[in-house]
Amino acid sequence: MNRRHGSALALGAAALCASLLGACSSASTPGTSSGPVTLTFWGTYGNGGNKTQTDALNNTIIPAFEKANPDIKIQYVDIPYDSMLQKLTTGAAGGQLPDLVRADLGWVPKLGALGVFAALDEKMSDYKALAAADYPGTVATNLFGGHYYGLPLDTNTRVLISNPDALKAAGIAAPPATFDELKADAPKLAAKKVSAFADSGLQGWNVYPWIWSAGGSVTNADQTKATGYLNSPASVAGVQLLVDLYKSGEIPNLITGDKGATQTSDGLPKGQYANILDGPWMTGIWSGQYPTFKPVYSPVPAGPGGSISVTGGEDIVMTSASAHQDAAEKFIRFTQSATFQLAMAKTGQMSVVQALGDQEAAASPELAPFIKQLATAKPRPSVPQAPQIDTVLQDDLTPAFTGSESVQAALDKAAADIDPLLTETH
Amino acid sequence: MSTLSATGAASQRRAFARRRAGGPGQAARYAILTVGAAVMLLPFAYMLSTSFKSQAYVLTLPPQFIPHPATVSNYTDAWTSHDFARYFVNSLVVAVCTTALSLLLSSMMAYAFARFAFPGRELLYKVLLLGLMIPAMMLIIPQFVLAKYLGLLDSLTGLVVFYVGGSLPLNTFLLRGFFAAIPGELEQAMLVDGAGAWTRYRRLILPLAKPALATATIFTFLASWDEFAWSLTIINTPSKQTLPLAIALFQGENSTLWGLVFAASVIAVVPVIVVFLLFQRYFVQGLTAGAVKG
Amino acid sequence: MMTAQNPVMLDSAAPADAGAAGPGPAPRAGRAPWRRRTAPARTALLFLAPGFLLFLGLIVYPMVRAFQMSFYDWNIVAGSVSRFIGVDNYTRAFHDPVFWRAAANSAVYMAFTVPPQIVLGFLVAALLNNKAPGRAVYRVLFYLPVVTSWVVVSLLFQYLFADSGLVNWMLHDVTHLTGHPTSWLAGRWTGMVAVSALGVWKGVGWSMVIFLAALQGVPKQLLEAAQMDGANAWQRFRAVTLPAVRPALLFVTVMLVIGGFNVFTSVLLMTGGGPADSTQVLLTYMYQQAFKNLDFGYGSSIAVVLTLFVFVLSVVQLRVFRGDEQETA
Repeated sequence: MNRRHGSALALGAAALCASLLGACSSASTPGTSSGPVTLTFWGTYGNGGNKTQTDALNNTIIPAFEKANPDIKIQYVDIPYDSMLQKLTTGAAGGQLPDLVRADLGWVPKLGALGVFAALDEKMSDYKALAAADYPGTVATNLFGGHYYGLPLDTNTRVLISNPDALKAAGIAAPPATFDELKADAPKLAAKKVSAFADSGLQGWNVYPWIWSAGGSVTNADQTKATGYLNSPASVAGVQLLVDLYKSGEIPNLITGDKGATQTSDGLPKGQYANILDGPWMTGIWSGQYPTFKPVYSPVPAGPGGSISVTGGEDIVMTSASAHQDAAEKFIRFTQSATFQLAMAKTGQMSVVQALGDQEAAASPELAPFIKQLATAKPRPSVPQAPQIDTVLQDDLTPAFTGSESVQAALDKAAADIDPLLTETH
Repeated sequence: MSTLSATGAASQRRAFARRRAGGPGQAARYAILTVGAAVMLLPFAYMLSTSFKSQAYVLTLPPQFIPHPATVSNYTDAWTSHDFARYFVNSLVVAVCTTALSLLLSSMMAYAFARFAFPGRELLYKVLLLGLMIPAMMLIIPQFVLAKYLGLLDSLTGLVVFYVGGSLPLNTFLLRGFFAAIPGELEQAMLVDGAGAWTRYRRLILPLAKPALATATIFTFLASWDEFAWSLTIINTPSKQTLPLAIALFQGENSTLWGLVFAASVIAVVPVIVVFLLFQRYFVQGLTAGAVKG
Repeated sequence: MMTAQNPVMLDSAAPADAGAAGPGPAPRAGRAPWRRRTAPARTALLFLAPGFLLFLGLIVYPMVRAFQMSFYDWNIVAGSVSRFIGVDNYTRAFHDPVFWRAAANSAVYMAFTVPPQIVLGFLVAALLNNKAPGRAVYRVLFYLPVVTSWVVVSLLFQYLFADSGLVNWMLHDVTHLTGHPTSWLAGRWTGMVAVSALGVWKGVGWSMVIFLAALQGVPKQLLEAAQMDGANAWQRFRAVTLPAVRPALLFVTVMLVIGGFNVFTSVLLMTGGGPADSTQVLLTYMYQQAFKNLDFGYGSSIAVVLTLFVFVLSVVQLRVFRGDEQETA
């Protein structure tokens, strides 16, 4: 190549780069204070190629809000779930956060305590009224140190989902309704090389339903102590059920963290697993990937404590750094409205507003088992160290399954490790 | 091996040539190489085949090598979801700009280190090499604060600038070695003719260093194309996100759609392979040139 | 963001000895050695400035800040005050069993990946070191894994090593080498084997290319002379080939060790450091502390210790190799 042409080419490329980059970054200069306000909203709705929720958001919800509020625009950004906490962390460190976040329950006390999320009960005059309309268990997840750092956005819970063909092939008429039925079903399923139950971990989301249904508990009422509760005989019995099934090979090692084992979302439709616990979002996922699979929904198997499941969901929070707090509050109010709640309920994000329960069930009959389970479902401890508590549970309970410790000893250790975490503020 | 009679070097050379031309040794050589190449390729082939399967057929035993039924829905889903095409273009722009800028700066530095003596030269070089040993994740938070201060957040420029900074140690190290091996006489001749440093750099050193530059191109391009953590950290506007982010978004909380992930990965791998194939013939030049120099 | 797991992808078409063995090329026979111009040091600094300033500002300064963070109980929120705790983070690491396990796993990963990459890379390079046709094709094929992104291949290998994945199928169903399917990603040692397999598969092509370049530089006359003197293949290798490729060997070893300690994406995506922290390596543990537990001070201290390990190891390797060189010279 002629050297002169070479330099001209290089200069041209450099100029092109500069203009391209310039064009891209100039588009990001923030709008002036006059003109429409743009709120950035971070969430995980679209993860996993899930289009139903982002479609509802972009096609129904956001247009409705923008129509009612012509001077506010909502920009939704989808973040991979595994990276959301990292992104919030770096954003907090650099003072560069969005206005609104659809935050996992476990993060709200943590980031509220650090001052990243705004205390909504102080900012919004109608907070009490809005909170009163929601299920109490969902509101409690926003509480820390006497203040509420968000409002519930959506809720969900786990129910027992079963593969009817797998059950029938083993001669079982209906999904197990009690602990004893599960124990009785297990050998029949094992004979057909089907796992009686499968779950993907040993964190709170996974084990609390069994502990509560066995009549046990996790902490005392004000969430300051786990010893004496988490390792009570009833709690031990709940975990023992799972350990016994695991040791006789009827629960796969997915539960102890094998990332190579088949996930429940694939194992159930394929008939490898007979029963799993999971939430309402799976219907949408399975209808796309396994169209011939017809799951059966039933309550969590009941033990001496009844059939008690765990609530999950997300809260809507506003960051303290937001420059458009009034506008953000308007959107938060909007999320509590029927338009938002019912549109999302159709995609498996259940409503947190109690009064909408009937409409919800009417519009989406497949949510009925979940709504029923929600009535008795309990929340996980909402403390800043909630993610660490989950890590402790996974680490301390695994030896009980893999055989080197008794369930009592494992729970004793877990309770001892969790006690200090319940009262730490960061 | 056989002991030699005194018939001389000529017959020995003929024996050499004969061994090289063919025979069982050669066949065994090719057999081993083919097995090795197959091991290298098998995962890719499997990935390609899985990208044409729907989820129900993804982790079956025995594994399906030829997807049946085959579907292109993974590719269409990958391309149409989440603005994939735009992520692709973003990644491309960033990778090209990063590579160009990094080559320019690191070749200048390499020239200075290779051809000049100045106080503190080795010390500065060692400081540069220290950059090779630092884990990038550790720097993310201070870099984020710095980027905010410089007004580079949420911009492709912010990506390019930091990618270039991170690539300088490696590229400079690579290029310095190559520059130093270029014979000094040629440069001396130009110097006698009155050529300045920049002219010598541009007219002599750079063209001669094409193989090393080609190598640096491939790696800088790949590292920029593949980079995830920094892009995730500073990019907030969906229209500016890059390709690895798109692939990460296909991993859901509740299920991983392997077919979709691999279809997106196949699309993402194509530009890198193209760049590699374009520049890899310079490896050949560099290698045979090395052989001639002996 | 470019430094982690990057060094493994380095290639050098140039004789690696030129950089590693010291300043400047060896003098050409019959000519005076090229003397670097001492006068315009200023010109040199002008060439150096743009890149070096960028490097100082964007890499060195954040590194210093991260080092500073390791002495604090760092509060992530911008503008907040963090508590100075001196070396508490370091003593905490010293007493942390997971930290030591992560360090051990990093060492294990290196032991499992560095020797195979060197041996196999050299073997393939030796096999390709002739003018046979089709050689270029093989070179490209072996190199392909090197140029593929870590994210993609980590997901791919997680898929391959799944309980019902290809590896188990081949080992159990086809060749019956194992009695039952192994849960590769469920245990510490099997998990390390899976991750190491990925590391070796991905890196062989890279060391192959370096060795190929180095083998091209082996003096053929010496080889022929040795053959005429009756040396067998092994003796020729030891006396002629090995010393000629020694600089490349050193370079490859140092870079592979650095890359081995910086392993991150593959472990994060394949095992997540689990189960129960059993397959954590130093970088994934640092990531967990910094971004899951929001404990940046502790995370930074782990990173500092890691950097120190790598630095000391590199210096030791350079000394050992140089020492050997001087003895045999």
